[in-house]
Amino acid sequence: MLATIVPLIGRRLAISIFILLIVSMLLFLVLHVLPVDPAAMSMPPTATLAEIEAKRVEMGLDKPLPQQYLIWLSQVVHGDFGTSIHFRRGVLGLVRDTLPATIELAVLAMIIASVLGIIGGLVLFHVRGTHKEPVMDFGSILLLSIPEFLWSLFFILIFGVALQALPFTGRLDPDMRMPTGTGFLLFDALASGRLDIFWSALEHMILPCFALGIAFSPTIMRVLRSSLIDVYQEDYIHLARLRGLSERRILVRHALKNAILPTLSLMGVQFGFLFGGTLLVEVIFSYPGLGNLMVDAVRNADLPIIQAVGLAYCLVVLIINTVVDSLYLVLNPKLRLR
Amino acid sequence: MDMLIAKDLAVSAALGGRTVPVIQELNFSLPQGKILGLVGESGAGKSMIGRTIAQLLPSGFSVSGGELMFDGQDLVRMPVETRRELLGRDIAFVPQEPLSGLNPVLTIGQQIDEHLARLNVGSRRERRERALAMLNAVHLPHGAELLGKYPHQLSGGMCQRVLIAMAFASKPKLLVADEPTTALDVTIQARIVQLIAEMQQNEGTSVIFITHDLRLAAQICDQIMVLYAGRPVEYGPARDIFARPSHPYTRCLQLANPSMSGARRGLYALPERMPGLSALSGINGCLFAPRCPNVAEACTQRKPSLVETSADHVAACIRTETTAQIAAPALAEVGAPDAGTPLLKVEGLTKTFRSDTGFFRHSLFTAVQGVSFTLHQNEFIGIVGESGSGKSTVARMLCGLERPSTGSLVIDGVDVTDGSKAAQAHQRAHVQMVFQDPQSALNPRRKVASIVTQAMEAVGEGTWAERVARAETLLSEIGLPPDAATRFPTQLSGGQKQRVNIARALCVAPNILVADEIVSGLDVSVQAQLLNLLLRLRRERHFSMLLISHDLSVVRYLCDRVLVMYRGEVVESGPTAEVFAAPQHPYTRTLLAAVPPDDPSAVWTPQPTEGEKAARTAMEANA
Repeated sequence: MLATIVPLIGRRLAISIFILLIVSMLLFLVLHVLPVDPAAMSMPPTATLAEIEAKRVEMGLDKPLPQQYLIWLSQVVHGDFGTSIHFRRGVLGLVRDTLPATIELAVLAMIIASVLGIIGGLVLFHVRGTHKEPVMDFGSILLLSIPEFLWSLFFILIFGVALQALPFTGRLDPDMRMPTGTGFLLFDALASGRLDIFWSALEHMILPCFALGIAFSPTIMRVLRSSLIDVYQEDYIHLARLRGLSERRILVRHALKNAILPTLSLMGVQFGFLFGGTLLVEVIFSYPGLGNLMVDAVRNADLPIIQAVGLAYCLVVLIINTVVDSLYLVLNPKLRLR
Repeated sequence: MDMLIAKDLAVSAALGGRTVPVIQELNFSLPQGKILGLVGESGAGKSMIGRTIAQLLPSGFSVSGGELMFDGQDLVRMPVETRRELLGRDIAFVPQEPLSGLNPVLTIGQQIDEHLARLNVGSRRERRERALAMLNAVHLPHGAELLGKYPHQLSGGMCQRVLIAMAFASKPKLLVADEPTTALDVTIQARIVQLIAEMQQNEGTSVIFITHDLRLAAQICDQIMVLYAGRPVEYGPARDIFARPSHPYTRCLQLANPSMSGARRGLYALPERMPGLSALSGINGCLFAPRCPNVAEACTQRKPSLVETSADHVAACIRTETTAQIAAPALAEVGAPDAGTPLLKVEGLTKTFRSDTGFFRHSLFTAVQGVSFTLHQNEFIGIVGESGSGKSTVARMLCGLERPSTGSLVIDGVDVTDGSKAAQAHQRAHVQMVFQDPQSALNPRRKVASIVTQAMEAVGEGTWAERVARAETLLSEIGLPPDAATRFPTQLSGGQKQRVNIARALCVAPNILVADEIVSGLDVSVQAQLLNLLLRLRRERHFSMLLISHDLSVVRYLCDRVLVMYRGEVVESGPTAEVFAAPQHPYTRTLLAAVPPDDPSAVWTPQPTEGEKAARTAMEANA
């Protein structure tokens, strides 16, 4: 099995580098078309035109665009993403502080989306052909049509404001201090034995994660349902019945294992969208992740941050796709080398 | 003692608010250890009987009367759980499509283990040992290795052996085999049938053998029931039925099948089709009357009941005495192949495929090796051999779908081997291909008129009106009504689709038609219609054909000469009659021995084939 996954990852790595290069070029190009002057912005408001011009030369902004790109690229390759104009801090450090928060959010949301999606798909499949089907069908389409930011607002209103059951801003209670470590809060809290911090972090994640998870579950539901219906047409299901296997066993061991394959490749695509969806949700819940950093950077025209965060989003999506494809290979024997 | 008894069994379906009978007046009794063959064309209700035994009917279908007694218990009225306990233990099934009968994401070992666990075979170790013994019993070597394989790594024949092993694991009292060999190569077919018979004899199992092949049924069954539109039309001892068919339908089926011995005779092609479910209630008298050659006034008045024609032999016909008079039509006169310069000259044709096995590694596989032959105007040549013998690759090279690795291809005096633009145009004008599966060969989003005139579209010839006119001419030539031009392929039956498929190839009036298994998977009556159509077209158009088929009787009926291919090489060739009467190469003999003989009392001894041995060697190499 490893013999097939390693070449796949190798191929993916080569393609990923190429894709990252193209994305970085696009980012660089688009941001330089914007009517902002990074040199002027990095100077105090009292600076003279001559001082700004000197800064411009210092930053290399007088050079032609391709050359500027190559300079930036070589710095990036050496781990130097530049300094934030607004925060006056190294960009790499800023991304390193916020990326784990967003990954944590996205992964938990994806788990919720998968669980809801699979349960919903099974329910939709189970009620097919009965009088409950139109109701369930309507429900799943309703879910499909509500975007994650609307869920966020509903949840804040219901669970945050009306019931006051769950917190809806930040990552932790204000009186708690972040434990040091990886930046993955749930992990760090457990590692340092602080169950109270773990619990508080989890409480803060419930609403944003469910908002994202519920918004992304209906497509999974519908794909699982239709692939289950396809699989149940197959001869091996019929033959399993003729062998006297129980319906439960046929579903769990024979049908689900096959129906999960198309669902899994959809989930890979979905995760990319979901990761992008964290941006709005983070802003709504004031969650200190990559999305909030990005929004701040855009507001302040903080070009180094925008470039770095853009690349970070791209990298995460590429990694997730590679993981999903490897998983697909593990689950589908037909794709493995013979 | 009788193992399975059907008494006035009836199944009906709810169809658009009406209830229509699907199976009616079904009566039979299958004694312990005997084989009952259910014979008929598709739609006759054979498989529905199999599903009724398991009570796994499609939705909307239900048993509307009668009883089905298995070993003294009524299968229809017993609780679901009781029946489920019987399935897989006392009643076992062997399916039609072995490759899709096994779950693709579980290994063979996992699937056998699951079945044995359900049969309460003790520990994991015991189950593994039992599984190995089972594989051994169905003559599958290297069992331990096989248990770790996935279904797609096995051939169809091997999958069917695995499924047979699983079916017999519980020593069932009843086995239902639903066309277990239809999807397999002819040589493997024979082995699988023999295997079922062998297992059946060892265990004393009663078998329901569902098949469309009357000759095969006569060879292995004790009793035969012929079904037509859901009703039994003839029932009795197998050999008696084959030797003295009483019902005109049975007789017609027999005459629709090309013979393998004696002089070649014409094929009796039943007109039209079996009435569909919705049309059944509109027929008052005998359901077969609209297609029956012996129909009389009285036949359309009331439904005939089964009457005894000889000992234990019943037929549902009021004029059984006239059945024997139905005779095969005379063999169509098509004339001898033209002498002189051959139309097609193939010399040393070789095709090597390259498959990448790693980053810098690849392996070469020779699919066709040094094939040479000539084809004259007005000559039909058959290519026979098992799957993987290179037949289809030869066909693809002739049509220009593959470039030969070496060798030469001369069509009508022009060398087209190089595959240049000019050569391809020449090739397309002279050679057209009819593909195997009309279901997937016809674009479902195009109307028939557009499909059959695709060749005109390709060269930008003619307006739409001209194309429709040409399509109508072609359709009438192949025996379809002109209004078929405006239909979509899904609105046609299997036989009609294959006619459209042929019409498309005829559009540019090619000299050579390459036909790849064009009648496999079709009912015998439809097959007879198509074979007669091809002979008529040959007489009218004077064209040549290369027919690829695994069915030797079809080749014997149609082709002047035959090439026998084995592992990419032609091992024997010559006039069909000569090769089939006195085969020289051992492989040809194996192929011929695999066909059930015309005379059911003759001893049928198919041998294990080279192909099977090759499949096993290939599997070892893969491991």
